[in-house]
Amino acid sequence: MQNAIGILFGNNGSDSLRGLTSERSIAAVPFGGRYRILDFALSSMVNSGLWTIGLITPRHYRSILDHLGAGKDWFLDRKSGGLFILPGAIHGLSGENGKFRLKDLQLNIEYLQKDLSENIIISGCNHIFNINYNEALENHRNEKADVTLIYKESTDPSAMKGKERLVISDNQDVLDILDVSETESTIAWPRKQNYFLDMLIIRRTLLLEIVDGYRSIEAINLIEAIRENMRTLKIIGVPFTGYFGVINSVKDYFDRSMELLDPIICREVLMGHDRIHTKIVDNPPTKHGHQAITANSLISSGCIIEGEVRNSILSREVIIETGASISNCIIMQKCKVSSGSRLDHVILDKFVQVYPGNILKGNKNSPLVVLKGSLV
Amino acid sequence: MHKQECIAMLLAGGQGSRLGSLTRNIAKPAVSFCGKYRIIDFSLSNCANSNINTVGVLTQYKPFLLNSYIGLGSAWNLDNPFGGVHILPPFVGEHELSWYKGTANAIFQNLKFIDFYDPDYVLIISGDHIYKMNYLSMLNYHKEKGSEITISTIEVPREEVSRFGIVSLNEEGRIIKFTEKIANPDSNLASMGIYIFNWPILKQALLEDEQDQESENDFGKNIIPKQIALGKRLYAYRFQGYWRDVGTIESYYNANMEFLEGDEAINLFDPAQRVFSNEDILPPQYIGPKARINNSLISNGCVVLGDVSYSVLAPGAYVGEGASIENSILLPHARVSGHTKINKTIVGENAKIMSYCSIGIEQDSGVRQAGITVIEDHYVLGKGSVIYAGSNLYSTR
Repeated sequence: MQNAIGILFGNNGSDSLRGLTSERSIAAVPFGGRYRILDFALSSMVNSGLWTIGLITPRHYRSILDHLGAGKDWFLDRKSGGLFILPGAIHGLSGENGKFRLKDLQLNIEYLQKDLSENIIISGCNHIFNINYNEALENHRNEKADVTLIYKESTDPSAMKGKERLVISDNQDVLDILDVSETESTIAWPRKQNYFLDMLIIRRTLLLEIVDGYRSIEAINLIEAIRENMRTLKIIGVPFTGYFGVINSVKDYFDRSMELLDPIICREVLMGHDRIHTKIVDNPPTKHGHQAITANSLISSGCIIEGEVRNSILSREVIIETGASISNCIIMQKCKVSSGSRLDHVILDKFVQVYPGNILKGNKNSPLVVLKGSLV
Repeated sequence: MHKQECIAMLLAGGQGSRLGSLTRNIAKPAVSFCGKYRIIDFSLSNCANSNINTVGVLTQYKPFLLNSYIGLGSAWNLDNPFGGVHILPPFVGEHELSWYKGTANAIFQNLKFIDFYDPDYVLIISGDHIYKMNYLSMLNYHKEKGSEITISTIEVPREEVSRFGIVSLNEEGRIIKFTEKIANPDSNLASMGIYIFNWPILKQALLEDEQDQESENDFGKNIIPKQIALGKRLYAYRFQGYWRDVGTIESYYNANMEFLEGDEAINLFDPAQRVFSNEDILPPQYIGPKARINNSLISNGCVVLGDVSYSVLAPGAYVGEGASIENSILLPHARVSGHTKINKTIVGENAKIMSYCSIGIEQDSGVRQAGITVIEDHYVLGKGSVIYAGSNLYSTR
């Protein structure tokens, strides 16, 4: 048992996937067949031994609550601790663009006050990763740090779009947090940069002080507050060397999904010692029929495949009829692709039905998104 | 209040010795079946789908994996505050006798458990059959007929009658004769080993059976014939649908293969009566660029890089590049390395088969168990091995 609790910001920039996020937040978007994006952040906390986790809800919270329930599938339906749903604040015109906003914490200050743990692990849930926080937490305690920021080294600004850069000294002290500039070059850096991964550890009492101290300021986020007080706080950086998939756009979403077809990434993120947990639906095994052709694909349970599936990711209970062919597609739960249809670079949201003989084609840079429940 | 109208007693203690190496490490009800399931899932799911919330599971033989699989029963929605799943192993007390001597004796030793819930009816089922059934329909039939003991029955082909307990009925469906496993019985209505008893009748019958030194303490052999002789009201409930006893290697193999055909078999996809299971958290299956899959069932966590045809792959199974799996069953986390050819084989849980093996090679004479090869759980088969059809591979211990 860890002497730490978790907070997940389910409302960080949560509208950025256009059609996929019109009725749900980015955290609740299905990913990798049987998962949703927030499963990665949530499972990382659970696998690190956190038994008390609060989730700050986004504006559209129906699908996220539907997915989580009482947290049973993450072992969070507990007598003490467990999963806490923390209603997010309404952020007016700034909508869902900000992150780690203190207003959300002010609204849920009781969650922080009534717990007695020493530290709080905070993370966003828009990205794909599988991290165990134990090492960072131990380091945080040993160094008697106030704040630990987790970062990843990279020379590629496009892979780390929208992430703050950290200036770090040789003994891992964070000297500065540099804002994301809109005009930032997309040309590779000559030297590795330290990108902040939206994961941090902070002393609980310090967080309470910050929330209280900035009470009167309407729109400020935790990172800005930490930066303002940089001189008086001990802030250290801890590098994360594993896979980190940033999702800021539909193209990112498509690319990150397809990266799972790389056996090395798939093994690291999904098949390692720490598993990604998700809502369990008891489906039978997938049936590959007499004429099925499948290659280089991730396929969830309960599908019936009679047609051709290449380089694609299928969620649960998808039906691909005889003579239908899909390649480079992401097909979400309970979609049906009828015979003779051809799909290429297409994302079908849940419950889409494609009628016989249709041809849908997107391309690598802008995959075609078909909205939830459409009949095409 | 603990009082329940009907509770289920699930017999899961049998050794299942006819399943050979499949049950050397694990009780028969816990053997993997049809990919993601274990045999006991079907009975437990039936209970859940029939609103029977209190289930006593009688275990005895190698119970550890079975017990940990069942847990609190939450995977079958059977964890509820008014009843739930209870694992009932043999125990020792001032008067109790430790090991269960037979099916009836197992229930007898747990009379106190049944008394605790004070039911009107007791449903007795076994954990080693594959079927979907609503026990409430049977209970309603039991009440309608004013029956004291109801046996669920199914018509079986004439040539198989000698494998079953057969009931003979009069015109109104009342049982007048029950014969266990004889050559030429008067009917082809087989007992499915599913009984509903009025609780007072069952209690009396078990107490009397225990006094009888000659008795083998078995429901089919002793209790049922005795109650017919005593003139009790026994009725046969006629079940229609898919039902398989998977007690032998052949029947286990055939039942798995029937699910591939999808016509006659239980509709696993029916959302109204789902079969639940306690599944591991595994990622979706990965089908490699060169894989070819034909008419097969494949579960979560499988990695298929080679050819698979007419086969069932359980969660976490691995098929290497250039390997070919035909007419076979891979149990959870079985691993078949590249360029190995397998035909008509059951590969046990966590078994490892190295590359360039040939398994299940057909031969002309002396083929046992219908030519099905069985490889035990955790068995490691060295590179380039050649195994003939009908072999049983055991670890030496």
